[in-house]
Amino acid sequence: MTAWIDFARGPLFRLCFALMVLGLLRIVLITLLGVKEAYQRSSDKIVSWKEIRRQTIGWLFPVARFWRERPIYSLFSFLFHVGMIVTPLFLASHVLLWRNSVGFGWPALPQEVANWLALLVIVTGTGIFLGRVLHSGARELSKFQDFVWPLLIMTPFITGYIASNAVISPRAYQQMMLIHIYSGDLILLMIPFTRLAHCALAPLSQLVTGIAWKFPAGSGDRVAETLGFADRPTWVPKARLATAPDAAQPDTKGESRK
Amino acid sequence: MERVARLKLVLWMFVGLAAAVATARFLFGLGATTHLSDGTPWGLWVGFDVMGGVALAAGGFVITATVYIFNLEKYHSIVRPAVLTAFLGYAAVVVGLLFDLGLPWHIWHMMIYWNPHSPLFEVGWCVMLYLTVLTLEFFPVPAEDFSALARVRRFLIKFRIPLVILGIALSTLHQSSLGSLFLIMPYRLFPLWYSPILPVLFFVSAVGLGLLMVIFESHFTAYLYRRKPETHLMTPLGVAARWVLILYVVLRFGDLTVRGQLHDLLGGQGQVKLFWVEMALMIVIPLILLFTPQFRDRTNWQWATAAIGVSGIVLNRIDVGGLADLSRGTRLYIPEWTEIVVSLGIVAAATLVFLVTIEHFRVWERRPADPNADPRKLPEFNKVGLTWLGTPVIAGRVKYSLAFVIAAGVGFLLLGNPRAASRGVEPTPVHRARGNVMYLKTGLVNDQKPTGTAVDGEEGVLYLDADLTGYGVTFYHQREVERNGGEKSCVLCHHMNMPRDRDSGCYECHRDMYLPTDAFRHDWHASPTGANLACVECHAPGYARTSEHVKPCMDCHKHLVPAGATIKIKTYMAPSYVDAMHELCIGCHAKVALKENKPEIARCVECHKGKLNYADAQNLLYRRRALAGRLVVLPPATPANHSEGK
Amino acid sequence: MKAAILTDTTKCIGCSECVLACKKVNHLKEDVPRRWDTDDGLSARNWTSVIGEPDNKFVRKQCRHCLEPACVSACPVGAMHKTELGPVIYDSSKCIGCRYCMMACPFGIPRYEWSTIVPYVRKCILCYETRLKHGQQPACTEACPTKATIFGDRDELLAEAQQRIRNNPGKYLNRVWGEHEVGGTSVLYISDMDLSFLAYGEHFGDKPLTQTTRVAMEAVPFTFLGVGMAMSGLYWIIHRRMKLQTEQASEDTEHQASPEE
Repeated sequence: MTAWIDFARGPLFRLCFALMVLGLLRIVLITLLGVKEAYQRSSDKIVSWKEIRRQTIGWLFPVARFWRERPIYSLFSFLFHVGMIVTPLFLASHVLLWRNSVGFGWPALPQEVANWLALLVIVTGTGIFLGRVLHSGARELSKFQDFVWPLLIMTPFITGYIASNAVISPRAYQQMMLIHIYSGDLILLMIPFTRLAHCALAPLSQLVTGIAWKFPAGSGDRVAETLGFADRPTWVPKARLATAPDAAQPDTKGESRK
Repeated sequence: MERVARLKLVLWMFVGLAAAVATARFLFGLGATTHLSDGTPWGLWVGFDVMGGVALAAGGFVITATVYIFNLEKYHSIVRPAVLTAFLGYAAVVVGLLFDLGLPWHIWHMMIYWNPHSPLFEVGWCVMLYLTVLTLEFFPVPAEDFSALARVRRFLIKFRIPLVILGIALSTLHQSSLGSLFLIMPYRLFPLWYSPILPVLFFVSAVGLGLLMVIFESHFTAYLYRRKPETHLMTPLGVAARWVLILYVVLRFGDLTVRGQLHDLLGGQGQVKLFWVEMALMIVIPLILLFTPQFRDRTNWQWATAAIGVSGIVLNRIDVGGLADLSRGTRLYIPEWTEIVVSLGIVAAATLVFLVTIEHFRVWERRPADPNADPRKLPEFNKVGLTWLGTPVIAGRVKYSLAFVIAAGVGFLLLGNPRAASRGVEPTPVHRARGNVMYLKTGLVNDQKPTGTAVDGEEGVLYLDADLTGYGVTFYHQREVERNGGEKSCVLCHHMNMPRDRDSGCYECHRDMYLPTDAFRHDWHASPTGANLACVECHAPGYARTSEHVKPCMDCHKHLVPAGATIKIKTYMAPSYVDAMHELCIGCHAKVALKENKPEIARCVECHKGKLNYADAQNLLYRRRALAGRLVVLPPATPANHSEGK
Repeated sequence: MKAAILTDTTKCIGCSECVLACKKVNHLKEDVPRRWDTDDGLSARNWTSVIGEPDNKFVRKQCRHCLEPACVSACPVGAMHKTELGPVIYDSSKCIGCRYCMMACPFGIPRYEWSTIVPYVRKCILCYETRLKHGQQPACTEACPTKATIFGDRDELLAEAQQRIRNNPGKYLNRVWGEHEVGGTSVLYISDMDLSFLAYGEHFGDKPLTQTTRVAMEAVPFTFLGVGMAMSGLYWIIHRRMKLQTEQASEDTEHQASPEE
C-alpha cells in the first residue's frame, strides 16, 4: 500500500498538477484569443468595459447577492468555496510536501484552524449537496456531474480529516491516506476538462458573455448551417438582431473603443 | 488530418515533454536530470545539441557560397530555406547550450572575460557573430510583409555580399574549431577519432553535411506540403557531396595511416564497432547510393541518401563529443531519457518555427497554405460536447495545445526518479551504513566530524537527523550507555521495530526512523579514517566478498550482545531509531517528570524542538499510550520486510 | 619561489590526516554517496584523497598544478588562473559552467557540484587564499604526521627527490613523477610503484597539452582573413567574367544583328 500511496503522491500528483495548471492556462489563453477574434470580427465594436468589470467583481465576491434568493444555500456555497481553496493550500503537511520536493514553501495554517476549516467544508458541502437534491428547481437544472462533484470534493476532506486526527481511527491511517490522495489527484486531473474549470474561467465569464453579443449580423444562420439545420428558420428574429439592446445603448463615455 | 497537421501534433508533444524536463533541469540542476558524472562531464547535450546542431546548420554557408559567390543562379530558390534552417539550427544550439551550461545566466561572460587561447572561446564568439549574420541575412524575408521595414530591408540587401563572405569565414572558423576543442585531450578521445587534423576533418564533413541537409530538407518539406520535389536541382548537390565525402575519407584514412593507428581498426572494442557504424552511415552507404545513377536521380533515394549521410555525420559529432571517450570511470555514460527528450524537444521546436515561418513568410516562391487555414473549410463543431471548436485555425490551436499539455503532464509523471525527487542525493538504504546522518553536534555548521571523537569532553554525542531534513535531536549516547549498564545494554535500544509503526503520520516523514537499522558501518570499518581494516581481515580470502562469507562481528566485539539476546548478530540488524529513542527516553522522562514534578520535560517538544506539528504530536501520544510498558522484540527482519519499506 | 609539493609514497601510512585537514581549512561539507563520484575518492567535497594500493601502499591524489595547465588554456572565460606563486586557482564569479576544464585535464582532477542548481567547479587550490598568501604552507602538508608529503620550492624539492632516489638505491623507482609530464607539474611524486594510474593514458608526453590547441588557435586569424579574401576574390573574378560574358554576348548579338539591317 505504501507503494501505491507513494505513486499517487509522487508521479501521479505531478501529472495531475501539471495537467491542471497547464490545462487551465490553456483554456484561459484559448478563451482570450477567441474573445479577441470575436471582437475583431464583430460588426459593433462598442463594449461597455466598465459594466463588465463591475459585474465580474460582483460575481467573484457575491456578498450582495446572498440575500436575494436561497440565502442559506448561497452562504453555504460561499463558505464551501473558501474552505475548499484555503485548506489544501495552507495545510501544514501539504506545505511541508512542497518544501521537501521543490525546495520552498509558504506559511501554513495552525493545525487547529485547518481542522475546523476541513469540518466547515464537510458540513457546507453536505449542505449544498442536500440543497441541490431537495430543491426541485435546482434538481431539474442539474446534470449528473453536478451531483457527483460535491461528493467527490468532500472525499479528500473527510479522509484527510480522519488521517490527521489519528485518535479517531488510527488503524485506518494508510487506507484513509490512499483514498485521500487518489481522490485529490482525480479532482486535480478533472479540473480543466469539466465544469470545475470555472475556477479559472469565472473571472472571464462576464467578458465572454459581453463579447458574445457582438456576433456579426446573421451569425445565427451560419450556426444553424454548421449544425445542419439550415433548412429550419433561426430562432432569433433577424429584426431583433438589427437593433440589439446592447448596441442600442452604447457606452458613449469614450472608454471603450480600443 | 493533413501531413503537416499530424507532424505538428507530434512535434508539439515533444516540445511538451521537453518543457516538463526543462522545469526539472532548472529547478533541480544537472545532476538530477542528466547522467553526466565527474568521469564524463560532457554528454548528449554537447555532442548532439551543440556539435551536431552546428554541423546540421552548415547548409546555410554552403548554399550562400554556391549562389552568391560562385554565382550558380539556378539554386537561388533554395537559398532562403537554407538560410532559415541555418538560423534555426544556431538558435537551437544556443538553447541547447543554455541547458548544458551549469551557470547559463553567465553565458554573456564570454563577451567580457577573454581567453583567446581557448578554442571554446573562439567557437562561442563565432557562433554569436554568425547568428547575428544569419539574422541579418534572413531578416529581409519577413521584412517583405511590412512596408515600414522597407528601408531596413533595402539597406540589408545592399550589404548582402559582405555579409555572405563574413558568414562563410565565420562558419569555416567555428566548424573547424569544434574539432580543435578536442585537440587538448589526446588521452580522453579514442585514437581512431583523435587526430591533429581534427579541425580539417570537421570542416570537410560539415560541407558535406550542409549539402546533404539541404537535399533532405527540400524533399521533406516537399513531401509535407505536397509540392513538386526539386529532384533535378538536388542531383548536382548530391554529386558535389560525393566528392566532398571522398575527400573526407581520403583525409581520414590518410591521417590514420600517417599516425600508424590502422591496427586499431582490427580491435574488438566497442569503439571500433562504433567507428565502422559511423563509416557505414557517413561514407559507405551514401557513396554507393550517390555513385549509382538510378539511385542518385530518384527523389526517394535522394531523400534516403541524405537522411543516412546526415545521421552518420551527426553520429560522428556525438562520438567525438563523448560517445567515443575512453571510459574513465567504472560507470558507463548512457544518456538519461531526460537528456534525449530535451534534445528532441529542441529539434521539434525549431522544426515548428520553421514550418510556421514558411507558412507565413515568402521563404518559397509561393507560401504553402496551412491546411488548417483553408478558408473553404467549415468551422469544426464537436457534436458530442456541443462545443464550438471555431474556425479551422482555432481548432488546430485547440488540438496542438492539448497535445502539448498532455505531453508535459506525462513528462512530469515520468520525472519520478528519486534523483529528481531528492535533488541529487542517492537514496541511502537504511540497512546500510548510517554514518552520514549521525553527526557530532559541535555548534559549528561546517565542522561536522565523524562520530567517535571527543567533543566538549564528552564522547558519542549524536545529532540524529534520520530523515535528512537538517533538523534533528541531540542524543548523549555515551551517557545512556553508562546509565543502562554498559555494552550489555545495546540490545535494549538496538532491537527490531514495532508492528504497525507505519500506521501513523510520523511515518510520512520519518520513514527510515521506523525501519530496522544497521549497527554495522562497512564504510567506517574499511576507511583509513575509521577502523582501517583490510578486506581480508573480515572477509575470508578465496570467497565472495559478501555478508555470507564474513567473520562474525562477535569475534572482535565480544560484548556486543549479552547472553540470551534474541537477535542473531549475523544480520547486524538493529531496531528503528524511533523505538530505541522513544522507549527509553519517554519512559525515563515521564518517571523523572513525576518524581521531580516537572511535567514540561515529558513533553514531546522537549526533544523535538519546535519541529513537531500538531498531528504528529497526537500520534506520539497515542503511541505512547498503546505501547507503554511493553518492549517487544521481534525475530530478525526478512528481506521482504525491507523492500516493502523502501 | 615556485610553490610545490613532494609526496613520497613510501612514507605514506594512509592515515588521511591530509584529507581531514583539507576539509577543515576549505570548509568542505560531509561526504554523501553520489552517483557521479569516481573511484579515486575525489569529489566536489573532497579535494584530496588517499588511494589504497595492494601491499599496504598508499598514494595521495590531488590537483597537480601543472606548469602549463590545460584547464587554464581551455577555460573560455579565464576562470582558471595559474598564479605567480604556483597554484592553479579558480574564480567562480567568472565561470559559465561549460566543464571544458574537466574534459581537458589530463589527470581528471576538477570536480563538479552536480547536485546544486548553482554548480561550480571544485579542486585543490593549494590553500592559496587561506594560507599560501599569508606565507603559510598548505593544510595537508602541515597535517602529515610522517612528512610523506612536504611543501617547498619546486627546484629544491626536485633536488631533494633526486637525492632520495640516489641515496636509497632499490627503494624507489628511478623517476620523479611530475618532473616532465605534460610540461612538468608543481606536485611531484617519488614512489616504489608505478604511478601512471594517477593520470589518463598510459604514456605521457612531455610536451605541454596547451601546444596542441595553440597551433589551431594561431591559425584562426589567418584562416579568417584567408577565407574572407579568397571568397571576395572569387566573387570578383566570377562576377567580372560573367559581366564580360554578357557584354560579349550582347556585342555578338549586335554584331549578328547589324548585317541584317
